[in-house]
Amino acid sequence: MNARNWRILALLLAVLLLTGLLAVGCTPAQEEETPGEEEQQQEQAGEEVSEPELETLRFVLDTESFRELEAQAIAQQLRDLGIDVQVKVWEWSALKAKIKEGERLAYLTDWGSAFFDPFDLGVPKLRTGDRGNYSFYSNPEFDELMVTAITTADEDVRRDAYFRAQEILKEDAPWVFGYYMKAVEASSVDVQNWEPSMDSRINLHDVSLASGDTIVVGMATDSILSLDPASSYRDRETETVIRNMFDGLVTRTHDGKVVPELAESWDISEDGLTYTFKLRDGVYFHNGDQLDADDVVFTFEKILGLGAFADTEGTSRAGLIRPSGVELTVEKVDEMTVRFTFSKPFPVFLQGLVHQQIVPRDYYLEVGEEGFGKAPVGTGPFKFVSGKLDDQIVLERFDDYYGGSPDLPPVGPAPIKRAIFKMVPEPATRIAGLKAGELGIVQAIPPDLIASLEADENIVVKYVEGTRNYALELNNAKPPFDDIRVRKALNYAINWELILDEIYGGLATRLATAFLPSGFGYNPDVEPYPYDPERAKELLKEAGYATK
Amino acid sequence: MTDSSLGTANEHQIVNPYLLELRLLTRNALHLWGQLRRHPTALLGLIVIILYVVSAIAAPFIAPYDPTEQNLMARNKPPFWAEGGSLDHILGTDQLGRDLLSRIIYGGRVSILVGLLATGFSVLVGALLGSLAGYFRGRLDDIVSRFADLLMAFPFLIFAIGVMSMLGPGFSNLIFALSFKGWVEFFRLVRGEMLVEKTKEYVEAARAVGRSDLAIIFSEIAPNIFHTVLVLATLRVGHMIVLEASLSFLGLGIPPEIPAWGSMVAGGRVQLLVAYWISTFPGLALALLVLSINLLGEGLRDILDPRLKLQ
Amino acid sequence: MRGIKVLERILATIPIMVGIAVIIFIFIRAVPGDPVDLMMGEGGYVSEEEMEAMRKAFNLDKPVHVQLYLFLTQTLRGDLGESFLKQVPVTDLILDTLPATIELALGALVFAVLVGVPVGVISAVKQNSLVDRVSMAGSFVGISFPHFWLGIIGILIFSVTLQWLPTNGRLDSGLSIEHITGLYVIDSLLLGDLELFWNSFHHLILPSATLGAAVAAMIARVMRSSMLEILRQDYVMLARAKGLSEYRVIVRHALRNALIPTVTVVGLQTGVLLGGNMVVETVFGWPGVGRMVVQSIYARDYPVVQGAVMLYAFTFVIANLIVDILYTYLNPKIEL
Repeated sequence: MNARNWRILALLLAVLLLTGLLAVGCTPAQEEETPGEEEQQQEQAGEEVSEPELETLRFVLDTESFRELEAQAIAQQLRDLGIDVQVKVWEWSALKAKIKEGERLAYLTDWGSAFFDPFDLGVPKLRTGDRGNYSFYSNPEFDELMVTAITTADEDVRRDAYFRAQEILKEDAPWVFGYYMKAVEASSVDVQNWEPSMDSRINLHDVSLASGDTIVVGMATDSILSLDPASSYRDRETETVIRNMFDGLVTRTHDGKVVPELAESWDISEDGLTYTFKLRDGVYFHNGDQLDADDVVFTFEKILGLGAFADTEGTSRAGLIRPSGVELTVEKVDEMTVRFTFSKPFPVFLQGLVHQQIVPRDYYLEVGEEGFGKAPVGTGPFKFVSGKLDDQIVLERFDDYYGGSPDLPPVGPAPIKRAIFKMVPEPATRIAGLKAGELGIVQAIPPDLIASLEADENIVVKYVEGTRNYALELNNAKPPFDDIRVRKALNYAINWELILDEIYGGLATRLATAFLPSGFGYNPDVEPYPYDPERAKELLKEAGYATK
Repeated sequence: MTDSSLGTANEHQIVNPYLLELRLLTRNALHLWGQLRRHPTALLGLIVIILYVVSAIAAPFIAPYDPTEQNLMARNKPPFWAEGGSLDHILGTDQLGRDLLSRIIYGGRVSILVGLLATGFSVLVGALLGSLAGYFRGRLDDIVSRFADLLMAFPFLIFAIGVMSMLGPGFSNLIFALSFKGWVEFFRLVRGEMLVEKTKEYVEAARAVGRSDLAIIFSEIAPNIFHTVLVLATLRVGHMIVLEASLSFLGLGIPPEIPAWGSMVAGGRVQLLVAYWISTFPGLALALLVLSINLLGEGLRDILDPRLKLQ
Repeated sequence: MRGIKVLERILATIPIMVGIAVIIFIFIRAVPGDPVDLMMGEGGYVSEEEMEAMRKAFNLDKPVHVQLYLFLTQTLRGDLGESFLKQVPVTDLILDTLPATIELALGALVFAVLVGVPVGVISAVKQNSLVDRVSMAGSFVGISFPHFWLGIIGILIFSVTLQWLPTNGRLDSGLSIEHITGLYVIDSLLLGDLELFWNSFHHLILPSATLGAAVAAMIARVMRSSMLEILRQDYVMLARAKGLSEYRVIVRHALRNALIPTVTVVGLQTGVLLGGNMVVETVFGWPGVGRMVVQSIYARDYPVVQGAVMLYAFTFVIANLIVDILYTYLNPKIEL
C-alpha cells in the first residue's frame, strides 16, 4: 500500500520537474556564444562575397553588481538598435582576471585618479601593455606623449602633450567613454564646517559640533587595512582614518589644491629634479617626540625600500611617490630640512606626497612594525585611543597639536574631543544609522536615497566632484571591437544623458575621453561623442552588421 | 503494510509487471486524489501551487507588460494604493521602471525551476547514497560519510563565491553551485533514518522471508522514511530560492535580464528605505509558494501515514 | 565502550581537517584573480617588476605543490601565515573576529530554540487551531525572506522608526570592554558591569533574531511535525489513557523523543548559522569572521581565507560530533 503511494509521489515529483523544465523552455536563452564560434561565422560570411549578408552584432556586457542597472539600461538601448547584448554580473576580482587574459569583450570598469593629473589614468589605463590597460589599446604616439607629460618639468610642454593625447583618444575611441560622478555624503545638522573633499578623505580637524563633543563617522567598508602610514595599503577609507592621526609634508584643500602641512615651505630646482622641504618647527608627536628630518627620511626609506630598508621591496605606497623606473633618494640636509632627488623629473610629486604621512623614527624602531600598527603615534590632530580595523577606531583630540595647515582654517587643536570611525559596509544600515542619530557623517550614499535624506530636516546632504572615471571598455584586440567603426558606433549609440539623469539622479557628467576636467591639462575643446543613433547605424552597416 | 507490499511482489511474478504497475498507479492516483479532496489545507496548497505553475507557464498571456521593458522615466513607482501609484502598474515599478507585477509573474518561472532543480538533484543524490550507506554501512558508508562531512564543513557562501567566479555567472552554474552541497543534508537525514529503521521488526520480517537487500531498502524502508524526506525537501525548495537571493546580495546571481525572485529581493535592498515594494513583493510571492508546497507536503504525509488512520 | 567510540570519532576529524586544508588551498587558487594586482590599487604608478617582487615576497612565484607543502608544514606548526592585505598574522585576525561571530551564532541559536521549540510544541498540541495556523504561516515568512531583507526591515522598524534598538555594531560608539572571553554579553557580566551588559545585549538582539529567524522556523516545523507523530504513538496514548496529566504526557514522554530530530536539525543548521553570518555581519556592521572572510575572498587574501575556512570547518566538525553524541544519548539504540 505504502510502497505504491510512494511511487505515485515520485511520479508527482517528476511531473512537477517536467513543468519546471517546460517553464525554463519559455525563458530566453542566456548562454553566450563563444568568441570562436563568432569568428567562424564571420569567416563564413566573408566567403559569400557576392551578396554580403549583414549579421547581427552580438556580445556580452560584463559588469560588477554595483553597475548592474546601468548595464541593463545600456543593453536595452543597444538592443533597440538591433545589437544583441546580454549582461553578465561578475565578482570584480574574477572579472578583472578574465579581462586581463583577453577573454572578455566589453566591460563596465572604473578607475580612480589620485593626482589631479591625468597621468595616473593615461598611463596605467591606456599606455601599451600597462597594468590597467584592459582595452588592449596601443598607439605609439599616445605612449610617447604620456612619457613626455610625466617626465618633463615644463608645464606648457606637458599641457600640450595632454591636449594632443585627448584628441588622439577621441579619434581612436578605444572605449565607449563614460562619465565621472559627484560623491554624495551626508551629515547630521549638528556637524559644522565640514565639507566633503574631492579625494574623499574626511578631515575631522576642522569640524565642530553644535552639541556634544564626539563625532561618529560611518565608513563604507568592511575593514580598513592599517593604522600605519608606512605600511602597505591602497584604499581611501584607510587613508581617511590615518590622515586624522598623522600629518604629511603637504596636504590638499577640498578642491584639490596642494598646501603645506608639516613642511613650512619647499623649493623645487630649475630642472625639476630636487625638492627641498623646510619642516615646521615645534611639531610634536603624540608621544612627545619632536618632529625632525630623521623622521621624514625614515618614513620614506621604509616606503621606498632605501637606506636601512634597502633589502626590502618597500611598500605598496611607493607607486604614489615616484613612478617605477625613476630613481628617488631622500636625504637629511639638516635637522629641519629634507631633500628629495629624482633621476628624471616627476612633476606630479607634490600631489602624490599628499597621501603620505610621517611616522616617528625612534618610536617606530622601538616598538617595531607590528607594535606600531597596534599603537600608532603621529603628529595629527587626533591620537589613537583604541579600536579594531574591522570594528571601530576611537580617536581623541591631541591637545598639543601644532594647528595643522595654515591654509585650512581653523588653525589649532581640533574643536571636537573625540572622533570615532565605525565600519558600516551596508549602505542601508549607514543611512539608517544617520537617521537614527547614531552616525554623524556617512559617505557613499546611493543616488536613490538622496531624496529621502534631503527631506529629513536633521540631515544635510553634500556633494563633491569625484575623481573616478567610469567607462565601458572594449577589447580592442578581438573582433568585433578591433574594428574602429564598431567602437565609434557604440560611442554614438548610447543615450548617456538619459541613463545618467535617471539612474544616477543627474550626479554624473559625461566625459569626452578618459581624462577628468578636474585634472591638469584637460582639453575643453574635445567634446564628448553626441548621442546619434543614425550615425551609429551607418557605422555598423559599414562594418557589416545589421541594424533595426 | 508489510503484507500488502509482499502481495505486490507476488503479483509481479504472474502478470506483466509494467501493465500492473500502470493500473496500480492510476488506481492509487485516483484514490489519493479522493483523499486529498477531503483534506482542506492540502487541497488549498495544491491549488495555489497549480496557480503558480499555470501563471508561470502562461506568463506571456497574463503579465500586463514585457518584464524586461524598461522605462527610465518611471522608476521606483509605488503600487496603486500608495500615494503616487496608479493602476497602470498595480504593484509599482522597479529601479529601471519595469512593471513589478509582470516581473514577479515571469520570475516564477526561473525561481520555481531553481528551487525544484536544485532540490531535486540534492534529494536524488542524497537519498540514494544515504539509504545505501545507512543500510549497508561498511566501507561505502565510511567514504561517503567522510566526504559528506568534508563538504558540509566547507562554508556554503565561500564555496558559491568561488564556483561562480571560476565558472562565471550563468544559470546552470548557479544550479550547480546551489545543489553541489545540498545533497549532503538529505544524505545525512536518510542515513540516520535508515540506521533507526533497519533495526525495526518489519525489516527483520522481510529479511526472514528472504527479500533482497535492495528490495527491503526501496519497497520496505523507503516508504517509511519518505515523509521525513518530503518535509525537508519542501522546506528546501524555498531555501534554495532564498540562497539564490543571498548570492545576488553578494553580486553573483542569475543573469539580470531574467527576472527571478531571489535577485529581485536582493536588487531592491538599497531601495528598501524608499521603495519597499521592489524587494518585498517578490519575497511575499516566494513565501506564499513555500507555504503552499508545505501545506501540500504535510497533507500528503497525513494521508500517507498509516498511523494517522488508527485514530 | 562509548568513550572509545567518541575518541575514535574525534580522531576521525583529523583527516577531515587535513582534507579541508588541502581542498581550500587548491580551491582558492583555482578561483581567478591576482592578489598582488588587487593589492596595488589604482592611483599612482606600479610596474610589472614591482608586482613580481611582491609576488616573490608572498611565495606566490613558487610552483603550487611547493606552496602547498610550505602551507601544510607551516599550518602543522600552528602558523597560519600573514594576511597579504593587512600584514598581520592570520591567527591574530581570527582570534580578534571569532568571539564576535560566536556570540552572534550563540545568540541566534538561543533565539531559535527559545522561539522554535515552544511554538512547535504548542502548534502540535493545538493542531489546526488558530495559533497553529498563524505560527506556521509565520514560520514561512521566516524561511522565505533572506537574511539581509529581514535585517534591513528589522532596522527600519526597530531602529529608525521605533528607536528601540541600535542599527549596527556590538556596543555604542566609543564604548569598549575588557576582553575576557571576547563575548561582550558574558564579559560584561563577569566584570559585573550591568550597563555594559545591557548595552551589548541591546546590540545583540536584532542581529541574533535576524540570523536565528530561519532556524527558529525550521525548529518549529520539525518540532511540530515530530510531536504530532509521537502524540499518536501507542505509548503516549497509553500514558494518556492511564490518566496522566497532559503536561506530564507532553513534557515527560513526548518532548524528549520529539527532540531527537530537532537536535539533528540544530546540528545541521550550525552550517547555516556560521555561513549565514557573512550576510548578517555585513548588514549589522558586526565585526566577525564572516565579513572578514568575504572581504578576503574578494581581495584574494589567500592566507586569511585558508585560515578562516579551516576554522569554520573545525567548528562545524565539532558541532556535528556533539550532535552525534547527543543523538546516542537521546536514543541509545543508535550506534555512533
